[in-house]
Amino acid sequence: MQTLSRGSFAKAGSSIGFNTGDWRLVRPQHHHSEAPCADACPASENPQGYLAKAAEGDLRSAWEALVSANPMPAITGRVCHHPCETACNRGFYDQAIAIHSVERFLGDRAIAEGWDYPIQPPLPGAPEVAIVGAGPAGLSAAYHLVRHGYRTTVFEAQPEAGGLLRSALPPYRLPRTALDQELERLLATGIIFRPGARIGRDLLLDDLRQNFRAVFIAIGTGRARPWSVDGAEPGEHRSGIGLLQEWISIGALPGYKRVAIVGGGNTAIDLARVLKFNGVGEVHVITFQTLPAAGVSQADAMSAAPREICQAIDEGVTIHDQRGVRRLILRGDTVAGVEMVHMKELERPGGMRELIAFEGTETVLKVDQVIPAVGQEVDAVGFEGLISKSAFFAPDRFGRLTGHAGIFAGGDAARSGGTVSGAIGAGRRAALAIGSYIEGLDLPREDAGPPIGLSSLNLNYFDHAGRAEASIAAPEARSVVTEIEGSLTRDAFDTEVRRCFSCGECMSCDNCWTLCPDNSVLKAQSSGDGKWHYVFDYDHCKGCGICARECPVGFITMIDEP
Amino acid sequence: MASDFDHESIAELQRKQPAFRGLDAGHMACPGCGQALGARLVTEAIGPDVIIANATGCLEVFTSAWPRSSWRVPWIHSLFENAPAVASGIEAALKVQGRPTKVVALGGDGGTFDIGLQALSGMLERNHNVLYVCFDNEAYMNTGVQRSSSTPHAAMTTTSPRGKQRMGKRHLKKDLLSIIGAHHIPYAATATVAYPSDLRAKVRRGLEIEGAAFVLVHSPCPLGWDHDGALSIEVARLAVQTGLFPLIEMERGTVVSAMHIRSVRPVVDYLKLQGRFRHLFEDAPEAREELQHLQQIANHNLELYALRSDQPEALDSESADTARRGGLRWS
Amino acid sequence: MIDAIEGSAAVARAVALCRPQVIAAYPITPQTHIVENLAQLIADGKLRCEMVSVESEFSAASVVLGAAASGARAYTASAAQGILLMTEVLYNIAGLRIPLVLTCANRAIGAPVSAWNDQQDSMAMRDAGWIQLYCADNQEAVDTTIQAYRIAERSELPVMVCMDGFTLTHTLEPIDLPTQEQVDSFLPPYRFKRALDPLSPITIGNLVTPEYYSEARYVHHHALLRARAEIAAADQDWARISGRTCGGLVSVDGPEDARVGILSIGSVMGTLYDARDEFPDLGAVKLIKLRSMRPFPAEELQGVCAGLSELIVLERALSPGGGGIVGAEVRAALCEMEPAPRIHNFAAGLGGRDMPLKIYPALLEAAKAPQATRFAILDVDLTKVAEEDR
Repeated sequence: MQTLSRGSFAKAGSSIGFNTGDWRLVRPQHHHSEAPCADACPASENPQGYLAKAAEGDLRSAWEALVSANPMPAITGRVCHHPCETACNRGFYDQAIAIHSVERFLGDRAIAEGWDYPIQPPLPGAPEVAIVGAGPAGLSAAYHLVRHGYRTTVFEAQPEAGGLLRSALPPYRLPRTALDQELERLLATGIIFRPGARIGRDLLLDDLRQNFRAVFIAIGTGRARPWSVDGAEPGEHRSGIGLLQEWISIGALPGYKRVAIVGGGNTAIDLARVLKFNGVGEVHVITFQTLPAAGVSQADAMSAAPREICQAIDEGVTIHDQRGVRRLILRGDTVAGVEMVHMKELERPGGMRELIAFEGTETVLKVDQVIPAVGQEVDAVGFEGLISKSAFFAPDRFGRLTGHAGIFAGGDAARSGGTVSGAIGAGRRAALAIGSYIEGLDLPREDAGPPIGLSSLNLNYFDHAGRAEASIAAPEARSVVTEIEGSLTRDAFDTEVRRCFSCGECMSCDNCWTLCPDNSVLKAQSSGDGKWHYVFDYDHCKGCGICARECPVGFITMIDEP
Repeated sequence: MASDFDHESIAELQRKQPAFRGLDAGHMACPGCGQALGARLVTEAIGPDVIIANATGCLEVFTSAWPRSSWRVPWIHSLFENAPAVASGIEAALKVQGRPTKVVALGGDGGTFDIGLQALSGMLERNHNVLYVCFDNEAYMNTGVQRSSSTPHAAMTTTSPRGKQRMGKRHLKKDLLSIIGAHHIPYAATATVAYPSDLRAKVRRGLEIEGAAFVLVHSPCPLGWDHDGALSIEVARLAVQTGLFPLIEMERGTVVSAMHIRSVRPVVDYLKLQGRFRHLFEDAPEAREELQHLQQIANHNLELYALRSDQPEALDSESADTARRGGLRWS
Repeated sequence: MIDAIEGSAAVARAVALCRPQVIAAYPITPQTHIVENLAQLIADGKLRCEMVSVESEFSAASVVLGAAASGARAYTASAAQGILLMTEVLYNIAGLRIPLVLTCANRAIGAPVSAWNDQQDSMAMRDAGWIQLYCADNQEAVDTTIQAYRIAERSELPVMVCMDGFTLTHTLEPIDLPTQEQVDSFLPPYRFKRALDPLSPITIGNLVTPEYYSEARYVHHHALLRARAEIAAADQDWARISGRTCGGLVSVDGPEDARVGILSIGSVMGTLYDARDEFPDLGAVKLIKLRSMRPFPAEELQGVCAGLSELIVLERALSPGGGGIVGAEVRAALCEMEPAPRIHNFAAGLGGRDMPLKIYPALLEAAKAPQATRFAILDVDLTKVAEEDR
């Protein structure tokens, strides 16, 4: 029993022994949520994570975090359609973070500084894996397999690595130097590269099955999808992809004057711009898809990157969206024009989408050639028995083919979305599946939960600021051989990375520590990197919830007291 | 995220906090108490070299029930109405002994606007080198939410309830800052727990000037204002953004600065969060009239202190206390 | 050094000799001359002290509370309405066990308004927990003030030094003022163990629940009882230095075999001494001077009253509806005595009414009545009282 002090005075700070934590009905808890950018990235990057490191001034760590998912940021930072920016919460507040430009800056910086990938080459006795195809899917899988310690051999039919990156992306989008530098350092991580080796011609799939523990097929889509209108094909027509590849490799184009390209994807837009740069008078793009805009759903929108579409329009390409070719107007064998009609894909009961032409909306467009760029198919020679009726491989999300243990597929050949980032993501997941298969383990769980929405952030703590824009050549100054998009300056980069909300992940802003009426949020410093974290004093925390409410990034949730 | 930091006991962590814990944990304030937060921020800004005289009220009661005390600085509670006088005596003692220790008096709105006004006036008139901080939760909360002269017009309290003949408090909130201004002391300011950097800066300013200083800290009371404790900061912020609680600084009776409001909010945004104003949302002419009255009072403040501005500045109601990675604040 | 000075001035000089560091006061008749004298001493550089001219007595007491709690020796003075106004603070100071000295220039309390002397004000404070010492003349006021600081600081209890307003404060007497050396040798510098200090912070003024409140009151009550020894020792030690005694807690003057005693408190003692000399043939009478009202010296009083058959208690205050205040306390103290004297309780001189020498024979006459007077106002003139109010 305590004795009374003279004048009933109390010792300073003696209340610390009184556990007001007993009052609690709910308690605060740190809870990392997936940021919408990470959720949207087909390559499973976590932009929030590397933006944070960049904001701390550590560009190398930012790049290392980035390449833990995607090994070719100098490439994707130029050609990706960056759904991360569309999903970015900041986009609903003022303007989305320019993740596209940030990724490119980091990729270019790594090349300039000669930073090595933070991985070790595999040990001599490690299991061996074969990869067919040195496009983004195959290279990504190879990189991740090496990361996990496997010896990896990549077989490629072409003499150089890159796949569509090299053959179908024009240099004004992806300069050869950037492509070559990025791929060279990627292959130098210990990947064995065998160019000029085509399955079915130079070696058989069975050979690979016997000599390797697992095989990943990433052969892409080597064939243009056939196209005709009412059974008629325009004479001497070329496929869009074929023309584009030919121009990229030898620089020659037929001498068109007025051209219509059918298709709404990157191939159609890239070809349209190439034709325009090369002096074709009128370049039209006809697509039943819709020009991207606010309110247009992903299912309806053109699959080309919105950025590219805008640039194409600036350069003088005419886009006829929500249209299709109803009839070819032929003079003998030559094309004189097309009859266009309004067309849209509509959803039918059961979820299927059906392409409908709307009678009474026909117009005629005078062109001297029609170029279909309506997609590609797999050239399945050498892979018979693995490919489904739909002419694509049909693996699960992790690249596993049912009924074919040890064989995996991904990328465009398996319809991974038709994007570079999608292919990179497919390659990463397949590497995980291959590793699990070889070790006889279950697949690691990758369930990140739903991304955190704007309403979970406290926007009172963010001042409005516009986004940094990389320099972009004016349409009249653009050329077909020099890069159109520039890079951010270092200052713009530093400002931009600090604009990131850090959705769902603590940014050590001190709000919780500052605003707790009960001094029950404590700062703790990690011994390794000296960074500050926060610890809840559950002996005293009363569960008022101010910290959760005032956390700008939604990192604190209130849960029932256990 | 925290996997790589050293595991330390909570007690060790408490000792190592990079801010002075003048008001420590274990006090008996209601969860989400604005006054507890305000007192914590104030003592943090002052540091350990201070002697505090505290008036009777919530803050005193929840921090000093024997044998426990949450104060880590020398602290004395005497009576309800004499904190400024006790502080004057402490200041006189330190002055004659040549000791540089600061003297701070703390009181609620009851002890400052009402029963302690005389002692405060005397202390200010004699210009003692004391900082007086009033935590304004707009009623006598400690005794059960009775109205004080600081209670806003139309607010419900137990002695200004809604009834057939009444719509909450009849009278207006006492204009204490004008009374303080009339004393022509070197520095007076209003602050709020919603903008902690601004609050700490004003406290430090009040301490560094020679002579009397006064800071009024708007402190939401979840119990008395009838809102969820988690909303205390939000409520305090809206009080500022509506213009109902202007953040100003005064030197010798003249307003020298005001925190601009970049996007002014209508008073209903503030009032609807608090049960003490729920009667104003009834479908009745007297309710609508009182809502209008409060909006007009806010409009009057906006004009009087020229609070509107859509030009961004570091200390307006949008930018003040912007979250920055690594916790860098401007105060 | 002997000087003929006004009582207020003498007390001011005594206070100054005690080296106070903070003085706070609000003017009220008849205390004003004390504070004005101190202000002049400060202004002339003869006293290094911070004087705070407060805006009310409530604040005066609060200021000295804060100062003393912060380690500075402090002083204040008041009277009547001012004492009542600071009542809450006086209870607070005593409960917090803060050493202080306060001069109460005894004055009647309104209503009805009066500026003149009686002892209602200090008597109203007898439950506040202070030590209360009464001065019979201005020399005692000087000596008691000096002793009060030592008593306060050793017992950690505040001391109220009561001196009759006007009667003492505004009259000139020859005063032997002690030297600074004498006072310094008696009164060490102020050291308050529980001073507010950032180097060793404590919390003062806590809420105490029913679980501990009785113990707090017990400690306080016993501290006052123990202070009797401090009061007696201070008087003896000061007597060794100054050559003068104030009579400790209670003192008696008169023949050993006297069976009649008159007990009183304050300056009326002087009247009684003069009256006894003026009326020598009225028999042997012991004149008992009560100096300490709090702590009330019950045992000492029993000793002093042993052998008396009649005891007259003469006081200058009353508890309306009850009776005499000092009288009631004397009765309570002596009721255990076997045999106990008959006690006759009178109040007189209320509101400053002059107490002539002839009250002495009047009192002695009244003591002969067959029935002892439980309580009466001795000098009331019923011709001035309306019929229905008698």
